[in-house]
Amino acid sequence: MAIGEQDVQSEVPESRLGVVLGRDHASFDVDETVYPLEAIYGGAYLFVDRCFVFLSRPKPQVVNVRLTSRGAATSAELEALAGEFMNEMLSQAARLRLSQATTRIREYYTAAALRAAASAPSVDDLLAELDAEELGDDPLEISVPWDKKGSEPQ
Amino acid sequence: MGQITFDRSLYTTDAVEAAAAAYAEYADIALEQSSDTVVAVVGAVRGHDRDTIEHSFCNLVLQETVVRMRRPATPAAPESD
Repeated sequence: MAIGEQDVQSEVPESRLGVVLGRDHASFDVDETVYPLEAIYGGAYLFVDRCFVFLSRPKPQVVNVRLTSRGAATSAELEALAGEFMNEMLSQAARLRLSQATTRIREYYTAAALRAAASAPSVDDLLAELDAEELGDDPLEISVPWDKKGSEPQ
Repeated sequence: MGQITFDRSLYTTDAVEAAAAAYAEYADIALEQSSDTVVAVVGAVRGHDRDTIEHSFCNLVLQETVVRMRRPATPAAPESD
């Protein structure tokens, strides 16, 4: 059977998560209106080290995710794998929406930080300013060390 | 001989081509393109069993697709006055 084709004979729809379990794989449909494609990609990218991931499109706005184990796996392990993938997809979707919702304010703060950095005086400017500064009178003798003050005659 | 169908709304053609080139050492892979799909026809395989090579090839196509999707668009060259 070619990858991506539905293996009707070896698949048994018995998972409580709605996952179709096969001999060595689990597959499930994802509604793209709920989980954006970027979230599916994000989950898939994290799972390619653990299993084989294949995406197909059975109908518009629906993505079928097929996770094939790298070695022998029980139905429970396959279902757990699919469950973890679904959780990761949810996390990715939430992060994506948060990122989109805060885009403007992040851009604002970045621009403000760059503006502040551009207008900040350099070290050379500060040293030149110190050199140019004229020290005035010191009526309170702040510049005289305390031990010198104590040794002065009364 | 196995056929793997990649939907172009999910996988980029560039990614399939890059993965096929990377797997040239392990399998003879020919690509057939249509408007909606890219079909990889996997011929003779070398070094590993067919299932492992085909599944690993699919993983690489997916990885290449994700990397390409996440890559920021190349900024346009500044216009010369």
